Amino acid sequence: MTVKAFSAEWAEAFKDEVNKSDAYKAAGKGWKWTVGLVVEAEPDKHFAESRGIVMDLFDGEARDIKVGAADDAQKCDFVITAPYSRWKQVATKELDATRGMLQGKLKLKGDLPTIVRYTKASQEMTECTTRIPVSWPDEG
Amino acid sequence: MHDTDPRFVAGRGVRTPTSGLVDYADDDPTAFASMLGGLIEANVESRPEKMRDFKRLAALVGIWVTDIDEGVTLHFQGGKLTVHNGLTPKRTITIRSDAETVMSLSNLKIGILGLPVYYDEVGRGVAGKLLRGKLKIEGMLPNVMTLNAVTRVFSVQ
Repeated sequence: MTVKAFSAEWAEAFKDEVNKSDAYKAAGKGWKWTVGLVVEAEPDKHFAESRGIVMDLFDGEARDIKVGAADDAQKCDFVITAPYSRWKQVATKELDATRGMLQGKLKLKGDLPTIVRYTKASQEMTECTTRIPVSWPDEG
Repeated sequence: MHDTDPRFVAGRGVRTPTSGLVDYADDDPTAFASMLGGLIEANVESRPEKMRDFKRLAALVGIWVTDIDEGVTLHFQGGKLTVHNGLTPKRTITIRSDAETVMSLSNLKIGILGLPVYYDEVGRGVAGKLLRGKLKIEGMLPNVMTLNAVTRVFSVQ
């Protein structure tokens, strides 16, 4: 069953995938900061309003993942911002998140040494998003 | 992104260092240039042993990321770093690899005598890529000490 992209159901499915991942559990050990993903609106892609995904991640576990306003995500310790279509590319494995950050396609705010130390954990989180069957608003 | 501190931003078009340790040669540093400059600045500011290396380091180090076709040149000038977009001539060392490997280099642990550790998981991965030619380091042999110092400054471990 598919879930709507960046909806509450998607957030729940994402949290389940993260918590099912042994790789994330190991790589995320010691992580104790919140992460916000800002999905910027692209009305021409039928994604009319920006949304924020707030992730409460702690020591290899996703304690909570919620979808809300972009402002909420911007208050997190680490914030990654990109337009809707870029996030779609990440979730469909068209764009590698590490490459995207180095190219400025995904904009990162937060302490760089910390996030670099957890590169493997962030790669595994990206993998988790690719395992969720999603219906995309710009695909009929 | 509107932050002005490059330690905290990796977005195209963000520049203006604050500490004076790192500056950018180009008016519009690439995201990769901002990220590396910011990473090194944060490392040396927070770790005295890295600051000691940084103050001694004088070299032109190129890093080319093969899968995004982008690179930077890090011009270390004994306590100051200028980050250039792309590769500039007369480099001491040039590292060429994919994005994942470049990030692995910044995760190399530093062991006794300040030498990078190549026997743990990250180190074995880096060494394996070097042996298989997926990580190329031009100028490595005559500049091993410089390479080790750059690795120490670059590593977040």
